[in-house]
Amino acid sequence: MVTSTRGERAFRAVNAVVLTAVVFVTLYPFVTIVARSLSDESYLIAGKVNLVPRGFDLTAYKLVMSDAMFWTNYRNTVVYTVVATFIAIVLTTCYAYVLSKPRLRGRGALVGVAVFTMFFSGGLIPNYVLITSLGMKNTIWAVVLPNAINVFNLLVMKAFFESLPVELEEAAAVDGLSTYGTLLRIVLPLSKAVIATMVLFYAVTYWNSWFTAFLYMDRQELFPVTVYLRNLIAGATGAQDAGGVADADAVQAAATLQAVTIVLTTLPILAVYPFIQRYFVSGVMLGAVKG
Amino acid sequence: MRIRTRRGVAAAAAGLLTLGLVACSEEPTKAEDLSGSRVGAMAEYGLGDQFKATEPLSFTALYNNHPFYPLKNDWMFWSELTKRTNVKIEPVAVPLSDYEQKRSLLIGAGDAPMIIPKTYHPAEDAFVASGAILPVSDYLDLLPNLKDKIAKWHLEPEINELRQSDGKYYLLPGMLEKPTHDYSLAVRADILEELNLQIPKTWDELHTVLKAMKARYPSSYPFSDRWSKPNPGGSLLSILGASYGLKAGWSYQHAHWDPAARKFDYTGATDQYKQMLQYLNKLVAEGLLDPESFTQTDDAARQKLANGKSFVIGANAQTLVNENRPDLKSTLPKARLVRIPLPVGPAGEINPASRLENGIMISTKALQSKNFVAMMQFIDWLWYSDAGQEFAKWGVEGTTYTKDAAGKRTLTADVDIFGLNPKATKHLQKDFGFYNGVFAAYGGNVDLVQSFSSPEEKEFQKVMSARQPVVVAPPHPFTDEEREQATLWESSLKDHVVQNSLRFILGQRPLTEWDAYVAELKAKNSDKYVELANKAYERFQ
Repeated sequence: MVTSTRGERAFRAVNAVVLTAVVFVTLYPFVTIVARSLSDESYLIAGKVNLVPRGFDLTAYKLVMSDAMFWTNYRNTVVYTVVATFIAIVLTTCYAYVLSKPRLRGRGALVGVAVFTMFFSGGLIPNYVLITSLGMKNTIWAVVLPNAINVFNLLVMKAFFESLPVELEEAAAVDGLSTYGTLLRIVLPLSKAVIATMVLFYAVTYWNSWFTAFLYMDRQELFPVTVYLRNLIAGATGAQDAGGVADADAVQAAATLQAVTIVLTTLPILAVYPFIQRYFVSGVMLGAVKG
Repeated sequence: MRIRTRRGVAAAAAGLLTLGLVACSEEPTKAEDLSGSRVGAMAEYGLGDQFKATEPLSFTALYNNHPFYPLKNDWMFWSELTKRTNVKIEPVAVPLSDYEQKRSLLIGAGDAPMIIPKTYHPAEDAFVASGAILPVSDYLDLLPNLKDKIAKWHLEPEINELRQSDGKYYLLPGMLEKPTHDYSLAVRADILEELNLQIPKTWDELHTVLKAMKARYPSSYPFSDRWSKPNPGGSLLSILGASYGLKAGWSYQHAHWDPAARKFDYTGATDQYKQMLQYLNKLVAEGLLDPESFTQTDDAARQKLANGKSFVIGANAQTLVNENRPDLKSTLPKARLVRIPLPVGPAGEINPASRLENGIMISTKALQSKNFVAMMQFIDWLWYSDAGQEFAKWGVEGTTYTKDAAGKRTLTADVDIFGLNPKATKHLQKDFGFYNGVFAAYGGNVDLVQSFSSPEEKEFQKVMSARQPVVVAPPHPFTDEEREQATLWESSLKDHVVQNSLRFILGQRPLTEWDAYVAELKAKNSDKYVELANKAYERFQ
């Protein structure tokens, strides 16, 4: 055990305080929402719910869970997220791997094509016309194919592949592996950390996204749960919409309903983090190349 | 280009020839000849007729999907509509939260459904220049019920507001026989009784009442208002402005019609506007109006009222019954809250509500359909005939409602809406699809408009409709170029008005600087704006 200097101790103390504050700030909204979702509506109105549920009440959960459309949309979100993440990971990995090879001719142009889209895009209406004329409207492809390659993620991955020792791949080639063999058997197993990160980035983005589905879907049974949630919140707050008159009971339940839907929508993606976190380990490459 | 021009000339020439041939029998005012578009249409469709297509038809329509009664395909509304009219609607479901955005996108991309309901004027202005929506005023002959209601209810001045610079209008209006004003103030009647005060009838009386409340409860702000997001003081400035004869707050309009001078001036620079700010400034300075009224969320204002920290709040029929009263019931069971008729101001006893509701745009593509005439007849029946409006709102007689000899409708025992039949197991909107806000707009005659209202609400509307309808400003439609210019000026002008209104009200800027403020507006082209409006007005006469 190395004794730590005074400076190090001070650093650790400050670190602990700052990080605890960050944890608190991050957790607070979540805990509040959970507390609200479990509370009786009258306590919400009186503004008495902060971190602990008051007047424990599960009616709102029952209400949301009994809505068939909620589960249809929920299933859509899961399907869209899984399929889209899979497609995105395959495409991004292939593109990034190719770009990471300095000997590739036209590499600059290929990078340029990708980066170009970071700064310029066709705009809403041309995109819509494109997707529609490709016949992808009202299909899963409208959600999972556009933006399958996120340029930022692409560049991160490219940098990661570039940092892999060339010798490893040379050794693989000497042992008779083809390009794809090298990628699948050598490079990918060594890239678990970056792939896990990418899966997380993509999955969270797709899970939270609502706009693409909103644009390209005309039927509510195709929407992801985010659109459902957004509409629920807007519907409950639309003060000027005289048509949005609801029964007293329904509006009463609205504040809790929103909280419940938010909780149910966020939980699964939150649960993914701990499982992926174990891949965020440093030193994957330690000792890979010797001599 | 040249070829196209030539072809155009040829077509025009051919058109003229045909026109010459039929000129004796046909009025040449129609934009196009509709004889090829009559498939499925009724040969004789007139006022009060039941529309039924001569063959099964289907039309696409944009559908504003409300989370409280989400679209269902097995609604009786759809099946009964098809049974009665032989028409099937193919809805394009758009979440209510982002209806406007999707509508713009679909119209912009040329992918819009034929029928685009639930459009509030002036939202249609943006689509006029592109030619994507139909100048519906050219086709009024196909809509006998609409024409009848305009004439019967003397709606010409209101309709004129819809006209574009070409003199046509592009929105089939939603219309009410009598204006229905909704936003006013809710006051704690039990506190009034405690202080031996009457319900305030004017804004000055409200001031007195608030003062008495403050004297009794010095730690409170008697009046804490809501509806300040995203427009600070949106509702309060709107209803107070109306009492000063202005369109302010969330109904802000830059050009203000001065009936005496017969010309427009700039709303935010008028004397009335200054007086209105003075009044609010007085309330704030005396601690009667919560300064947070202009920034807080609705929930915050609700909580203050619920916890007895304030006694007056902005309210409409729904928030009173659905929010404030249930809130108070759980926190202060003895409290009694009433929505008072809009307090009267210098403009006298007026009813500021418009008689136009949201309307319908028709996609220009529909004109190419061979079923165009049938579609217009269908729209006329569903949205404008008494029978269609009743069907869309109340449903099917004998199933969802019954009607007695005097014509009074009653929901059947097992059907509920607005808690009228609290024990019922089915809901008129959720389970049957009637009164869905898309096909049943909020218009109609007084009887229909108020048919779901509580006695309390009917009483409120009785007081309000005894007042004079507000004078409608004459039409002053801008050309495309003018509108572009006006839009540029509008945003910076409005920002300046909103910002400074708040500063004047909250006392951050003394009202002695009013002239400086007016000069600032001029520097932001308020006078050029007014000039533009007056020019457009004169041109249109």
